[in-house]
Amino acid sequence: MKESYSLVFNIKRFDPEKGKSWMQTYRIEAGRILRFTDVLRKINKELDPTLAWNSSCEHAQCGSCSVVINGRPMLACELLVENAVELFGTTVFTIEPIGVAPVLRDLVVDLEKAYDRVHRIRPFIIRPSQNPNQGQEYRISPRAMEGYLEATRCINCFCCATACMSSHRGFMGPNAVMASVVRIMDPREDATDERLQQLYSEEGVYRCHTSKACSHVCPKEIDVAHFVALAKEGEFS
Amino acid sequence: MAVRSPQTGIDTRISKLLNGIPPLARFTRSRGVPFVISWAHRLSGLLLVVFIGFHIFTLSALTTPAAYADKMKLYQLPVLAFIEWALAIPVLFHALNGGRLILYESFRCRRDDVLLDWAAGLTLLYAGLLALLMLLGNQNVSAVFFWLIAGSAAAAVAYALYARIGRTAHAWSWKLQRITGAFLLVMIPAHFLFMHLGPQMARDAGLVALRMQNPWIKLVDAALVLSAVYHGAYGLNSILNDYVGSKELRWVGSGAIIFVMTIAAVAGLRLIVSI
Repeated sequence: MKESYSLVFNIKRFDPEKGKSWMQTYRIEAGRILRFTDVLRKINKELDPTLAWNSSCEHAQCGSCSVVINGRPMLACELLVENAVELFGTTVFTIEPIGVAPVLRDLVVDLEKAYDRVHRIRPFIIRPSQNPNQGQEYRISPRAMEGYLEATRCINCFCCATACMSSHRGFMGPNAVMASVVRIMDPREDATDERLQQLYSEEGVYRCHTSKACSHVCPKEIDVAHFVALAKEGEFS
Repeated sequence: MAVRSPQTGIDTRISKLLNGIPPLARFTRSRGVPFVISWAHRLSGLLLVVFIGFHIFTLSALTTPAAYADKMKLYQLPVLAFIEWALAIPVLFHALNGGRLILYESFRCRRDDVLLDWAAGLTLLYAGLLALLMLLGNQNVSAVFFWLIAGSAAAAVAYALYARIGRTAHAWSWKLQRITGAFLLVMIPAHFLFMHLGPQMARDAGLVALRMQNPWIKLVDAALVLSAVYHGAYGLNSILNDYVGSKELRWVGSGAIIFVMTIAAVAGLRLIVSI
C-alpha cells in the first residue's frame, strides 16, 4: 500500500468578473488518507490561494462540498485519496462544479438557486393530519416509519440531481421528489392531493426515466430511485 | 469512506460486459449500469421512431404491387437482410427493457440484477431465432392464428398494466404511454417474428393485401400503428421536455412532433383501410 500519491487535479475554474472559464492543472503529492477537501486545501496553501471551493461540516452532513469527480458527483469531504485511486483506477482527476445551479466561482455554485426546487415542494408538513392520540405526542408506528426512514437521511447535496439522466431544466430533481414522497408517507401529513398534483406535473416524476443514477451516486446510500418509483407506482393515489 | 457499489450496484453478466468497454465503463463507474441501459433505451427508441416512418413509407407501395415487389427484391440483398436482422436487436432490447421498467415502476419489482440479464439473454436468443428463420426461409404460419395468439397476449399484458395504473392519479398521457408500451412489448417482437415465419407472405404484394383484408388483421394492424405512433411521439416529446429549456421552443417542438406523427398514423391507417 502506498503512503502517498502524486496526483494530478484538472479543475474547472470560473472567473465571474471576466465571465471566463478554463481548466487548470495542479500536480500535488498527497497522503493516502487525505480527503479531497484536504487536497483542495493543500492546493490553496501550497499552489494557488485563488482556487475557490465550498465546504462546511466536512463530515458528509451538510452537502455543501459536492463536486463532480471524473464524471461522478461526490462529496469531496468523504472521498479519500486511496479510495479515489481505487475507484477510478487513476491518479488523474477532473474536478468540476455540480451542474444544478449557476457557478459563482470555480467549484462554488449558487446553492440558494439549487435549493429553490426543494423549497417549491415544501419539505415540511403542509396540512397536519388529525392526531389519533388527542393531547399526546403524535405516535408513528415503527412499521410506517420503516417505509421512509431511509429517505430522511437525505442531506440535499444534489449529487443525485447532478447525475440524473434528465436535465435540470424541466425536472424538480430526485431529491425534491423524494422529499415530497417522504411527506406523503408521513402519517402526520394530510396534503397528499396537493403533493401528488405537483409530483404528477410536467416537472415531476414524468421527467424521471429510472436510470437510477441517483441511487448509484447517493453519498448517504439512499435508494432514491425506489422512492421516486413509489410515486410512479401510484401507491399514494 | 469505502466507495461502494451501492444498493443498486448490479453485479450481473451485462454489467461485467459493459465495464469491459472503456467508453461505457466511464459511465457505468460514474452513473451506474442502469444509466447506460437507460441511454441505450432512449437511443434505440429514436432508431425505432425512424424505422416506423420508413416502414410505413415502404408499405405505402402496397397500392402498386409492382413497386412493392421492387422494394422487396431490394430487401433480399444480403446487406439489407443483415440490417433487417440487426434491427431486431435494438427492437427487442427496447421492448424487454421497457418491460423491466414497467415491472420496476408499476409492480415494485426491484430485482434489476436478474431482469437486466434476462433482457440481454432473451434479446440474444430472439436474434438467434430470427437469424435461423431468415436462413431457413421455408416456414409458413397461418396469419390469423398467429395474430390471434399474439394479439390476445398483447391485449392481456396491456390490460394487466391498465388494471394496475388505470385508477391512479397519473396523467392519462403517461398512462397511455405505459399501456401502449406493454402492448408493443408483445406486438413488435411478434411482428418481426411473423415476417420471418411466413417470409413469402411478407414479400408478395398480393398475399400481403389478401392477409390485410381480414378484419382481425386490420384491427391488429391498426392497433399496432396507433400504439407505435403514440408511444414514439410521447418518447420524442419526453426527450424534448428533458433537454429544451425554453417553453416556447418546447411548444414548437411538441407541435412538430404531433404533426409528423399524425401524418405517419394517418398514412398507416389509410393503408390498412384502403386494402
